[in-house]
This record gives sequence, C-alpha cells and structure tokens, in this order.
Amino acid sequence: MKPASGLQPFDVVVYAIPFFILAIVLEMLWAAKRKPEAYEPADTWTSLALGLGSTVIGAAAAGLIYAAASWLYAHRVGTVPVVWWSWIACFVLDDLNYYWFHRSAHRVRWFWASHVNHHSSQHYNLSTALRQTWTGFPALSFAFRIWPAFVGFPPAMLITVGGINLVYQFWIHTEAVRRLPRWLEAVLNTPSHHRVHHATNPLYLDRNYAGVLIVWDRLFGTFQPEVDDQRIRYGIVRQLGTFALLHSAFHEWAAMLKDFATAPFRHKISYLLRPPGWSHDGTRDSSDTIRARWLEAPESAAE
Amino acid sequence: MEQAKTALAALFAHPAAPLIAQGVLSLIAIVALVAIARGLGLGGDVRIPDEDTARALADDAVCGFGATDIALDRARIGALARNAQGRVLLIRRHGAHFVARELTSYEGIRLDRHFLTISTPDRRFGAITLDLGPEAQAWAASLRRLGATA
Repeated sequence: MKPASGLQPFDVVVYAIPFFILAIVLEMLWAAKRKPEAYEPADTWTSLALGLGSTVIGAAAAGLIYAAASWLYAHRVGTVPVVWWSWIACFVLDDLNYYWFHRSAHRVRWFWASHVNHHSSQHYNLSTALRQTWTGFPALSFAFRIWPAFVGFPPAMLITVGGINLVYQFWIHTEAVRRLPRWLEAVLNTPSHHRVHHATNPLYLDRNYAGVLIVWDRLFGTFQPEVDDQRIRYGIVRQLGTFALLHSAFHEWAAMLKDFATAPFRHKISYLLRPPGWSHDGTRDSSDTIRARWLEAPESAAE
Repeated sequence: MEQAKTALAALFAHPAAPLIAQGVLSLIAIVALVAIARGLGLGGDVRIPDEDTARALADDAVCGFGATDIALDRARIGALARNAQGRVLLIRRHGAHFVARELTSYEGIRLDRHFLTISTPDRRFGAITLDLGPEAQAWAASLRRLGATA
C-alpha cells in the first residue's frame, strides 16, 4: 500500500543492530579492565532476550501502529510538508511526546507494568538499553507518539524519527562515559543524566524522563543532575531477585491485576492509574513516600 | 537434493524470511555476547565485607531501615539485618549485586546447628542457608517472635 504522504518509513533500528553488538563488546572489554561487576552474564542474557522478544513483538505490532497512524493522517486537520524543517519539527515534537510517554510510564501503574522491565536490571550497561518491553502495544503506549499524524505529520516521518530517538538512547546506558562537555549536558540527555533516571536512590527516583533533549526535564521540573558523591543503586525499588525471563517480562502485570482483583471496589481503578507503589491502605511505598521519608532523615541533609 | 533446494528457495521467498533471519542472527549474537561476558570473567564474586556494608545494603533495600543488629553469613554471601522496630531483612547475593526481602513470619525458617535456612513467601526469591556460627541459635529464637509481633 502506498502511503498517503508518498513517504516510506525508514527503520533505522534494524541498521543500528550491528553497531549495538559491537558497542556492547567494546563496553565488555572496558568492564573487564575497569569494572568487572558492570556486567553479569545471567543479567545480560535476560536483558538481550527481552530485547529480542521486544523486536519480534514490535515487528508484529508495527503494522497495526502504522495503520492507526495512517488512519489519523487520513483524517488530519492539516498537512505538514515533507521538507527539511518539518523533519526537525517532527523530531522535536516526537521527543516531547516521548517525554510525556516516559513520565506516564513511571507515574501511572498501567504504563509502568509495561515499562518496568527496562528498569529491573540492577546493572546499567549497554545491554540494559536493549532490555525493552514486550507489552508496550497492549498497554497502548504508542498513543503518545502517533497523534501528530492527526495534525498532518506523515506517519512514515513519525516512525522514522521515533527510530532515531530510540537509537540515540542506546549509547547513554553506560557507566563508561562520565560527563560530556557542559554545553552538551545542558541540552542533551547524556549517560550522566540517564544514570540518574535508572537509579533507585531517593534523590533520583522519578527524575530525568527525557529521550534525546534533557531540556524537557528542565522545563517541566523533573531534572536532577548526577551528584558525584552519591553511590548510585540501579534497578527498581523492590529488586526482582531473579533472572527469570518471563517473570521479568510480566511480573508487574501479574501484581497489578492481582491488586485490581482483590482491592475493594472503589479502589480498583486506582491500582491501574495511580503511581506504582500506591495502596489504598497506605501500607506500601511509592517514589513520593520514599523521597519524603528520605528528606525527613537527618543524614539526607548531609548527603 | 532437488527437493531440499526447492524447499530452501521457498523458505527464502517467504515474506517473513528477512524477519526470521534477523531473529535467528540476533539470537546467535546474544549467545555470543553472553559467552564473551562469561569468557571475560565479568560479574565477579561479590561478598559483604563487613557489617557497615550490610547496613548500607539494608538501607538500599528499605529507605531509612536503620539496622541495629547484623548477622553476617560466614562466607559473606548473605546477612540478616534487624532495626530498632524489630523489622528483619534477609539480604542475599544476586549475581553481582544483592537483594533483600523483609521477613514477616517464622514460617519457612529452619535451624540446623549453626545454619539457618530461610525461604520467604516470594517463591522466586528462593531459599538461602546462612552459616551464622554460634549466633544462629539466638537469631532463630528471635525470629520465632516475628509472626507474634507483626
């Protein structure tokens, strides 16, 4: 089927895969020399298998997502021309959409159930970047990214810039790069900023949601710079304690649906839409309660 | 031979062939990367060197836990941490890191001289046997009160 805009989507991710593999090998060599605990073979297997599964499921879902975007484009209110500036505009808009998707993925348990497996490794390395969800499509996460088709951005353009955004985010999942020049750290999401995002330290919880441009976090009040004397702990608040692949992929869905099934009727929907860790009887910890408790502790003032 | 050639040609002509080939190559690459990680000895052999580290691990697991009593496994692969409120955390090694779970009852805990075998309600967390030396008896006795105080 010829796209209505005449533009064909370009899947940049497929072409990036050989570079991903090469970069992981190089990072492993760095780790062997400097920080052997930066990788754990069992964890690497789980992360990469989640990545492979995500690619397969993503390929199956891509046609449906593209069809949905094409439907929106067929009912568009305007038409954005395919010129150099519209590519830049589309990239920036898509990155803004990514920010809000990502923020929702951490603040709404329904989306967190899908996104959590990207965070459930206690390691932070390039294999973690490929630890992607299997359930993004049924979670309807794509809705955050395809709406610009309705205002006239060609679906193929949206798919292409989305792929570029994803590829950019690969290399920032590393401890091998400390800081970039200050002017780049001011504008771009960098390894330093994204380490903060993957950390479970109370100071760092639910911060730095950016995809490519860190300016969104600065703009919307969610930016937190990396503090040099804080020992970073990666993963999730309640660490998985297993490398089991299927458990890693589905554990939060199972937990959420169990909560939904057993909660009193008037609280059921809250277990789907409120932040992870919320409970109707206040017996669990969310990012907000952990941070509040940490801020009250006298030693946190010294950190 | 001719049949095999025909079957192979049909396979390559299938619309899903590029996707299947990509999947197979990716799987081979994954196996190779894990083998490289193993070959390079990545992951290491992490241990809990002292009680202060165990306290820090307890605080990592539960913000503000504030452990007052620590029992270290002799091989330093696990520990028990108790705070002033009587809450107890089981800490154990997981790959190159540590994970912890709060113990809420004596169920699943067995004492065998200096060895305390502990399994939590979290089936995937698994059971761990800690060699606590002479301290094992006192810890086992105190853990028996967990269900009662909860």
